[in-house]
Amino acid sequence: MNIMVSAAFINPLSDEGEIIVRELGDFERVLSDNDDLVQIVTESRSQELSDDSLIPHNYVDLAIKRIEWYAKKKNDRNFDHKQYDFLFNTEIVKFDVIAFYLLCQAVGVKYGPNSRESRVIVESQGKLIEYRLGKLSKNERGEIVTNILNSLIITTHLKWTFFEDLISTKKLKLHDLILDKGEIILDREDFLERFSHNIQGRKPEKMYEALIGDRIKELVMIKMVMQNTENYILKVGEISEREIEPNPILLKLADRISEVLAASVHSYGFGSGYGGSVKASALNPKAFPPCVKKVMEGMKSGGRNDAIIMFLTPFISYARLYPSVFSENVSKQISDVDPTLLIVQNEVLPIIFGAAERCSPPLFEDQPQDKVNLNAKLGFGMHQTPELKNEGETTWYTPMSCEKVKIHLPSLCKPDENCKKIGNPLSYYNRMIWKVKKESKTESTAEQKDDNS
Amino acid sequence: MVKIEYLTPASPEERKRYYREEWDIKQVPDYITHSIQEREFGFDHVGRGPNDRYKVFRTPDLLKRFLKVRTPFAAYCSVAFYDKPRRRDRWTKAELVFDVDAKDIPIRTCECEGVCEICLNEAREIVCGILDTLKADLGLNNIHVVYSGRGYHIRVLDNDVMGVNSDVRSQIVKYLVGADVPENEYSLDYEKVSYEHFVIPFGYPNVFTKRIKYSILHLNEHTELDGVNKKLLNDVLKNRHLIEDDNWGLFKNKLGPLRYKKVVNSIASLNMSLVDAKVSIDLKRILRLPSSLHSMVSMKCTEVKNIETFDPFKEAVPKFVYERKE
Repeated sequence: MNIMVSAAFINPLSDEGEIIVRELGDFERVLSDNDDLVQIVTESRSQELSDDSLIPHNYVDLAIKRIEWYAKKKNDRNFDHKQYDFLFNTEIVKFDVIAFYLLCQAVGVKYGPNSRESRVIVESQGKLIEYRLGKLSKNERGEIVTNILNSLIITTHLKWTFFEDLISTKKLKLHDLILDKGEIILDREDFLERFSHNIQGRKPEKMYEALIGDRIKELVMIKMVMQNTENYILKVGEISEREIEPNPILLKLADRISEVLAASVHSYGFGSGYGGSVKASALNPKAFPPCVKKVMEGMKSGGRNDAIIMFLTPFISYARLYPSVFSENVSKQISDVDPTLLIVQNEVLPIIFGAAERCSPPLFEDQPQDKVNLNAKLGFGMHQTPELKNEGETTWYTPMSCEKVKIHLPSLCKPDENCKKIGNPLSYYNRMIWKVKKESKTESTAEQKDDNS
Repeated sequence: MVKIEYLTPASPEERKRYYREEWDIKQVPDYITHSIQEREFGFDHVGRGPNDRYKVFRTPDLLKRFLKVRTPFAAYCSVAFYDKPRRRDRWTKAELVFDVDAKDIPIRTCECEGVCEICLNEAREIVCGILDTLKADLGLNNIHVVYSGRGYHIRVLDNDVMGVNSDVRSQIVKYLVGADVPENEYSLDYEKVSYEHFVIPFGYPNVFTKRIKYSILHLNEHTELDGVNKKLLNDVLKNRHLIEDDNWGLFKNKLGPLRYKKVVNSIASLNMSLVDAKVSIDLKRILRLPSSLHSMVSMKCTEVKNIETFDPFKEAVPKFVYERKE
């Protein structure tokens, strides 16, 4: 018998999901051991049961397991999917929905929508949907995706601007969608009517399946649920600001989420792809990405200001003083990491000034006022030289992302092999530094072995 | 051939003549005069950039009086609408704009250092392509084109896009210029199918094909493309007649798939410079006021009625230029 999967299993924010939340009753129950939950977990087909810690006993445990699954799946090479098989058992839905809401509320209350924790909740929900859909039969999968899409998208003529939020947050890229006269084409018949007469030498039906079909429908559905999750966390954050005291259960859960992520960083280097955080050390120009190397050679008139002031200054200063800014996600001032400004004076500024000098014509010769702008980007206000007394008048700019470089300085972006999957030139630098260290360690171990043999 | 450099800067006397004798407030487009109270105006009085900012005019008549009295070197108007434009406060929306500057086009057939008739015409052709995509793909219709003096401004006033943020605008730019190479392998249930961009006559792959085609047909033997050596460039030039008739498959075969990929990747990265993306993502930009004088080149910033036939040397040269003594 084909039992229809609940929409809430894929989209906890659906009407079915809301009904489940309303039926929970007393909130304190989220910490009570729940035999029904344990039974579903232990009866999940491939679930590993060798250790009691693998089994969530209540809603809060389940919420943590959800995050653990995502963090370990992403970073742990020894990840064992059998430890989390219950997450893919459709019978867990009524517990899973509550766990999802707990996560969103905990993070919304304590960390807000712009936190790393929030990002992880949103991303983990997206990944969970992908894997859950992957375990369904083709029919079930098609049916549930269509149902959820129908509930999320009311109109038949879907304008691309309907997805403004998704496009803005880059969850969807405009070029992933098939657009015609402002509308997004998702429906097969609509596609054939609009385009089949122009398609030559290929079967229009097959082209539809390849370019749109279930793939784009699923992508749109998943990204919409992710966006709605983000919006929900934002809403929780706004409401909690008006409340006097947040629920202590949520605050404690928020701490546990943070601990899981911190443990993940410690063990596997969460989100960075390389081990641990990067420590500040003397700059190694060989590890610079191609865009930085290009600016270091000097720029021609036209792009000089943006290249030296907006792009190079933040990059060099962060690469030298605070290379782990993105993984740590904590804003700092330069004096937090260089209290006497000696490194700024002796290492950071000479490199930037050198690149400015190599511009044609040299940047500060005909535009001396740009020295003030340079200081401003380091956080020392609109002054000629960096002085501690002025620190904080402006913000220490973080390095431009690759996306921004493409917009502001398109001629700089000449990616090499190592640029793949890199979103910021600073991440490139950190990765290369890590690679160099790893290689030299391997070499010295090999040498030691040779010496011992 | 007319070189813009030959058109010397307008003298203060010529500026006066232009604004007092030739210019008329009626030449300022309705989409500006109708929202004049919501926009910020900026002026450059001496030729060193628009330093006189945050100006507001309650009526077109007041703007008229200001221009006739002050006869500025350059006049600008915000693409943004504000509740309080004098302080650039309470931003409500902004036109979606694209700036195609002839001197910055990445692949040009001319070798001039500034701008000339040839690259201005190429800028016009690029504008035509962008307009086509704005309408056919994005469904936008309230679009105005302005000749800026050294290129073109495309100004979109459809309400659907006036409120979108910089991130969305940046994605629109990338879509329009063909900055990303489309996928060419797609997964079906039990197989992978390959569709090169040129066999897909719709959506982004079709936009990409048009932009790549334009660029390839405008290459010359001196064009420098990253990752493309002289031999490959020569092979492209030798075989490009094939794509004039859209024989892309043959063209790709002649080059070989890997070399074809190199060419396409390289041109895609150059496409980002077809427009000045900084202008498009700036929600508070000021743009040259249509009908005002570009004093540096002595040309009128002119609203274009028909881009297919527009010729700046016929329609954007102020009278005083013709009356100049040799």
